[in-house]
Amino acid sequence: MSGISLRDIRKAYVNGPQVLHGVSLDIQPGEFVVIVGPSGCGKSTLLRLIAGLDRCEDGTIEIGGRRANDLAPQDRDIAMIFQNYALYPHMTVRENIAFGLELRGMKKAERNERAQNVAKTLQLEAYLDRKPAALSGGQRQRVAMGRAMARNASIFLMDEPLSNLDNALRITMRTEIKELHRQLGATMVYVTHDQTEALSLADRIAVMKDGHLLQFDRPDVIYDRPANRFVASFLGSPPMNFVAADRLPDWNGPRGLTAGLRPEILSVHAEKPAQPALEAHLLLSEMTGADMLLHCESPAGRLTVSAPRQDLPKNSEQFWIAFDLDRALFFDSQNGDRVDLPVAKQP
Amino acid sequence: MKPENPILAGLALVAGLLFLSPVLYSIWMSFQTVDAYYAGQLGFTLDNYARAVGQYNFARYLLNSLIVSGLVTLIGITFATMAAYAFARYSFRGGNFLFAATVATLMIPSHISLIPNYLTLAKVGLLDSYAGLILPAISNGFAAFFLRQYIRGIPKALDEAAYMDGATSLQVLWRIIVPLSRPAIASMALYIFITEWNNYIWPLVAVGKQDLYTLQIGLARLYRINPGEGLIDWPLVMAASTITILPVLLGFLLVERHLVRGITMGAVK
Ligand SMILES: Nc1ncnc2c1ncn2[C@@H]1O[C@H](COP(=O)(O)OP(=O)(O)O)[C@@H](O)[C@H]1O
Ligand SMILES: [Mg+2]
Repeated sequence: MSGISLRDIRKAYVNGPQVLHGVSLDIQPGEFVVIVGPSGCGKSTLLRLIAGLDRCEDGTIEIGGRRANDLAPQDRDIAMIFQNYALYPHMTVRENIAFGLELRGMKKAERNERAQNVAKTLQLEAYLDRKPAALSGGQRQRVAMGRAMARNASIFLMDEPLSNLDNALRITMRTEIKELHRQLGATMVYVTHDQTEALSLADRIAVMKDGHLLQFDRPDVIYDRPANRFVASFLGSPPMNFVAADRLPDWNGPRGLTAGLRPEILSVHAEKPAQPALEAHLLLSEMTGADMLLHCESPAGRLTVSAPRQDLPKNSEQFWIAFDLDRALFFDSQNGDRVDLPVAKQP
Repeated sequence: MKPENPILAGLALVAGLLFLSPVLYSIWMSFQTVDAYYAGQLGFTLDNYARAVGQYNFARYLLNSLIVSGLVTLIGITFATMAAYAFARYSFRGGNFLFAATVATLMIPSHISLIPNYLTLAKVGLLDSYAGLILPAISNGFAAFFLRQYIRGIPKALDEAAYMDGATSLQVLWRIIVPLSRPAIASMALYIFITEWNNYIWPLVAVGKQDLYTLQIGLARLYRINPGEGLIDWPLVMAASTITILPVLLGFLLVERHLVRGITMGAVK
């Protein structure tokens, strides 16, 4: 188990724009950190720098307390799971899993036994003699995990490992990865653009945008107290509603703020309720199971509301949306930073 | 596979026989006696082979050709693979220029380098030796170019996975790139082998000692050695040329398996 410490990492590809603009991150030994952000924000680049696949010339990378900038990937004690798995197509599952052990000089009997054990954990025993081409997507994903596990590396890096799987399998594998982390206790750095994966897997989430680290904290903190409007909009599904605070009924707080209202803090009423509420007109509704997702037009702007099905007004496209201002978040309309209002209470 | 159409199969058979007919004819002729051949009669004898191998030294020429073409292929394919790997995977100062130079060698007719090669080898005293036959042929621009294109088609993530697994770059080459390039390497090895086997001009100028003749030289000499009373001993020449083409056919059968596999592998992925 080793921690990872990144200090002011910058990276520009040859003849390319700058991709990372000074990222600093301290990852504790044994921690599960998820790096999340939209496509192209530099997540993979950061991971490749940690792995040693790309050279880090600007900034410091420490692994297990030692400067690692100049270490070759082989010398970093890191295992990596690639987005497309990168299984060796000419080797059997057994050979794929044992290849790293072979390169480290382990005897054949011993490494095959290790491969066998890993395969057992991952329910791959029946496929040990198959080539990757003869496996399903989920099985390939498991082999990729097995290859990383066999080596007992102290750090696991995963670059969108589930993005090629169908939804059901993705949820299963998500649980398995979490379970794996519990068993191995290794430090894991997991890259994804999927906020659900980030929230459900991480001990801590690092949110990135355009090569900047915006916030690095526990999932509940990120969700409840996002550093800025981007973080607030990126995490949470359906996404947070943003409306100009001035246009909320009875608003008497400072001007120039944007209110962030998560769909679940809004509620739907047929008659005007006692709490502050906006009159709304239904544009579109989506069924999501127990809840309905209502897209409405209100005087303050477009709002998405998530409401239990039985609460919905019958036969009506006009209704009231009440909100709980205590649970609303406020952002500076200019720079997007979250603003703590001393008393954000309504009259 | 679809059931074969008998008409198409018949046409294919006819075409195949057409292509094969000169070869079959010369093999058939190699078993005739000279007298029977010129008299237009049928006969059968192994004497032509016995004479070619014994009296005319073709066993030695065959050995020379095998040594020269074998080593040229082995060394040439090794160099070409290594160069291709470097060109495909590393960007280094001067790399683009070197690659352009490699490709440029494809456009230079081999006869142009004949005299410089001759002078160079004469200076270092390597004419009339196996080394003199082998050295000029071990760099093959086309093979390097072809393999580089092929290797570029192998996902780089495989290299990276191997590096993460603890491989050195030579191990990546040997354990990942080479096995995955086998069909391409096999075709290029076959190509180098056949080119060298059929090489005539260079052995002709580089070698004077009869002990170092390759089959092609020996075969060409046979016409001149043997003009008994204005006649050419065609059955003898055909026996010698059969000896000359057989190893190439065998070589093809040897690597054909890999070539075919390469084609189907491309089809699935
Ligand atoms: N090898 C490369 N050369 C040049 N630009 C690259 C290279 N790899 C990635 N980039 C660029 O760097 C940016 C970040 O890429 P990446 O780290 O892959 O993003 P992410 O993984 O977050 O989607 C993108 O704009 C991408 O086009
Ligand atoms: Mg990526």
